[in-house]
Amino acid sequence: MRAVQLAVDEINARGGVRVGAVRRPLQVVSIDTREHEPGIPIHDALAALEKLLTERRPHAIVVGAFRSEVLLAAMDVVARYRVPYVVTIAMTPAFEARIASDPVKYRYLFRMGLQSEYFAGNLARVLGYIKSRHGVSRIQFVHQDVLWAKATVGFLEVWARQAGWTVVSSDAYPTGATDFSASVLRARTGRTQILVPVFDMPQSGVLLKQVKGAQLPVAVVGFISPAVPATAWQAFEGAVDGMVQFVAEPGPLAVRVLPKSVHFNRAYGQKYGEEARLRLSGHGPGPSYDAVYVVAAAIERAGTLDPDRVAEEIRKTDTEGVIGRIRFNEKHQVVYGGLPSETAISLAFQWRAPGRRVVVFPELAAEDEIRLPAGVGR
Amino acid sequence: MSPEYRRERLDRGIKVRSEDVFVLAGWSELLYRAGPRLTATVLLLVFPLLRPWTGDYWQTVFLVALAMMLAAVSWAFLENVGLVSLGHSLFFGTGGYLTALAALELRVPALVAVLLGALSGSLACALLLAPVLRLRGVYFSLVTFALPLLLSRIIEATKILGGTEGLVGVPGLGSLAARQYLLVMALLATVFGLQRLLDSDYGLVLHAIRDNDVGVRASGIPVGRWKLAATALGSLPASLAGGVLATHYHVVGMSAFALDYSVLPLTAAVLGGPGTMAGVAVGAALLVPLSEVLRAFGTLRVVVYCVLLVLALVAVPEGLFSLARRRYHQFERWVPV
Amino acid sequence: MTEVLSVLLYGLVQAAILLLVALGFSVTFGLSGIPNFAHGGVYILSGFVCWYLLRQLAWPHLLAAAGGVAVAAVVGVLLYWLVIRPVRRLVLAEVIATFAAGVAMLELFRWMGLVTYDFNLPPVVAGSVTLGEVTVDAHRLAVVAAAAGLGLLLWWFGRATRTGLALRAMAQEEYTALSLGVREDVVATVSVALGSALAAVAAVLVLPLGLISINLGYDAMLVALAVTVVGGTERTAGLVLAALLLGMTTVAASVVLGPHWSEVIYLAAIVAVLAVRPSGILGRLKELEERV
Repeated sequence: MRAVQLAVDEINARGGVRVGAVRRPLQVVSIDTREHEPGIPIHDALAALEKLLTERRPHAIVVGAFRSEVLLAAMDVVARYRVPYVVTIAMTPAFEARIASDPVKYRYLFRMGLQSEYFAGNLARVLGYIKSRHGVSRIQFVHQDVLWAKATVGFLEVWARQAGWTVVSSDAYPTGATDFSASVLRARTGRTQILVPVFDMPQSGVLLKQVKGAQLPVAVVGFISPAVPATAWQAFEGAVDGMVQFVAEPGPLAVRVLPKSVHFNRAYGQKYGEEARLRLSGHGPGPSYDAVYVVAAAIERAGTLDPDRVAEEIRKTDTEGVIGRIRFNEKHQVVYGGLPSETAISLAFQWRAPGRRVVVFPELAAEDEIRLPAGVGR
Repeated sequence: MSPEYRRERLDRGIKVRSEDVFVLAGWSELLYRAGPRLTATVLLLVFPLLRPWTGDYWQTVFLVALAMMLAAVSWAFLENVGLVSLGHSLFFGTGGYLTALAALELRVPALVAVLLGALSGSLACALLLAPVLRLRGVYFSLVTFALPLLLSRIIEATKILGGTEGLVGVPGLGSLAARQYLLVMALLATVFGLQRLLDSDYGLVLHAIRDNDVGVRASGIPVGRWKLAATALGSLPASLAGGVLATHYHVVGMSAFALDYSVLPLTAAVLGGPGTMAGVAVGAALLVPLSEVLRAFGTLRVVVYCVLLVLALVAVPEGLFSLARRRYHQFERWVPV
Repeated sequence: MTEVLSVLLYGLVQAAILLLVALGFSVTFGLSGIPNFAHGGVYILSGFVCWYLLRQLAWPHLLAAAGGVAVAAVVGVLLYWLVIRPVRRLVLAEVIATFAAGVAMLELFRWMGLVTYDFNLPPVVAGSVTLGEVTVDAHRLAVVAAAAGLGLLLWWFGRATRTGLALRAMAQEEYTALSLGVREDVVATVSVALGSALAAVAAVLVLPLGLISINLGYDAMLVALAVTVVGGTERTAGLVLAALLLGMTTVAASVVLGPHWSEVIYLAAIVAVLAVRPSGILGRLKELEERV
């Protein structure tokens, strides 16, 4: 939300958005659907969306729903109300599948954030590199029982078996679970070498605590949302040491090859304070900030607020943002790849004592090689 | 010695004058008796027609309110038999899932699916609860608390019935107005019908079962079977509500068994006044719009429900509706002793 | 072999956790017949109080824990006098009222945003211990020791002290106890306060194993319910047995079948036991069984 507000303030400081002949300021209205709580009924979240759409009549929506079930149900609501809708957090591939199935009905929906297939692809590349370099072969997946994580791990499992890994197990935990002992036990008996967590819930940090407590001889490579911000080193009392953490989109780190990310970090720190900047998480702020600019630019190019025209202009976007080069494919998804000048990119960094985050992927942005903990691999 | 006073409560004149056949004596007597019920019924029937003025959003709130009123009435009916359910979302969710199944697997038209879902839902729940109906108060409630949680975890773990994503693509049931009127009819039938039932000899037996089931058994009435029948009947409105909402949102998931759907009928019933069907319906009718208005406060809503619940239990145990009714029929005054 | 040892050890730890969490609820219910469904709320509340004292006011760990326990006891007393006493004897009203109070507490915390990873408690004992081929954190072993100690303490309290005997007398034969001079309000207040204090002790010991997560409040309620129902409220031995049974089963199930199944087991256990043997596996109360 703060990222969005930052972008809005920057645009307004430059005079607002030009709609046809008039410059108008951008205004943010928002509603909290509470959907991150697993117990909240979808009905409730959808009712909140309808309330926003009928009462405040926004001209565009950014960020959008992030719980997959809510998003998929919301797609129909948004299509009915004809509002450009740019998703920046939800990662489920079912989103594009729906858009592809009926491009005319869903022409208002876009996604800026990373999606599971790209994510899995990046993970596979890094894991493959680790395997060839360090000679490990026993892998275990631990993930959250939600669509995007299941899709990611599903893809990875298939890939891993084909690439010659021994998959010890694939453990699914419901959202909100706080005890990962089952996986710790399985890791010990299965002699896991690489542990791949895929979680976007604060409780997932407990996994790292338990791994350290049990002194498991593993390297952790994956995505645990609470372990992304700079403050995580202290919060975890060093349990993140050595973890290779993926960041869905750039934002929380200032990366040299992405000049906009440097600017974003600086501006964010100036506006909200250094403490807030250190707490930036890895999934959301970057693309949300960019999404505001994309929508504003689309409105200017369209010269009107008419949803069909704006949506058409969003589709033709080709600009540079915090996340890299922003271009949509035919399924309305921003293309992610390895070259910041050609595509948006997704990073991975490794935690090193005494609390540094060293970028290790993609190759062009990497500052150092990946190092495995002592006792794992060659 | 200064005079002491006591509080006296008397029936109003108009109430006495309009008792029995004398209600036909004049318009004021007729209106006094029929007024409240007539106003409520007219309001329910007319609200969907006010769409151009209220907007779509409040019409949807109306639909949800109707569903919750049905759930609350269902709760109250069961309470009259002595079965207090702390997990009413069980009936709601079962109705929703079975409706979705009927529509998606059996491919029947939406209306048939809703009716099928409601009937089979109430039967299924009655059968599910059959083994524990014989338990004493608290223990029965504990089971009702555990069951919806159990079902939703089983769905999550075994991934049946769509797992965490739920069943999508449930067909809609006509227009919004059609759904609203379906529920209005159901609500009117339920409130007036069940109240009639409870006031009759059948209801006498049910109340007796609640108060002293050993005595009832001693009179030769098979308590177990009566409880079972009452459970099936009582859970019908809630299952229907679940089914209709499933067709409205086109999706049914584990969240149909959420705590929200258990707490609301409970709060509505306690607030409105357990005991009368109309009372709990009024309670629900107050709570749902309240919760919409409080939407901006996010989770604080639930806190408000719960605080209201505790206050209602402690301070107004008879419920607001009973309080209002008493004021309507009787007046109070101080008289010297 | 390592596998079996690990499962046994973690199962024992889990049993200890279950016993600790359930003790407060069982004590209140067993000693004065009050089903305190705000147990989960008090559990998390004391966790947050301890967190605040420890992290924000920088009190020493033991003092912060004691603070949490004290606050819990006070909340228990308030709970009794404001919420339970007005509806005493109306069993279901007690359940509903305390349940609502508990939910109100938990959701209030959620609204206040106390959900990030920052809200965690440090372990009472740091470091890891290696037993044979299994390494486990020292804190987990401390939990087992604490559970065993507390269980014994309560068993002794109920059998050998005047207060304990008075409380049990109230639970078994109320009118006789009253006629012997045991005062009802005092007894009830003590039992609710005691139950809340025990919830706080459990919180301080168990929460460091994870986060102070709001959902744990609901889980704690469920666990307390499961152990009390399965074990019966009459004998501490029943509770211990129930905790062991449930602890071992859930750990074994989550390792063999998957983590989802642990909650299913608690819930299924509640439903099954209530349907078949309502007074618990070691209970002997005939009243419930006669309800056919």
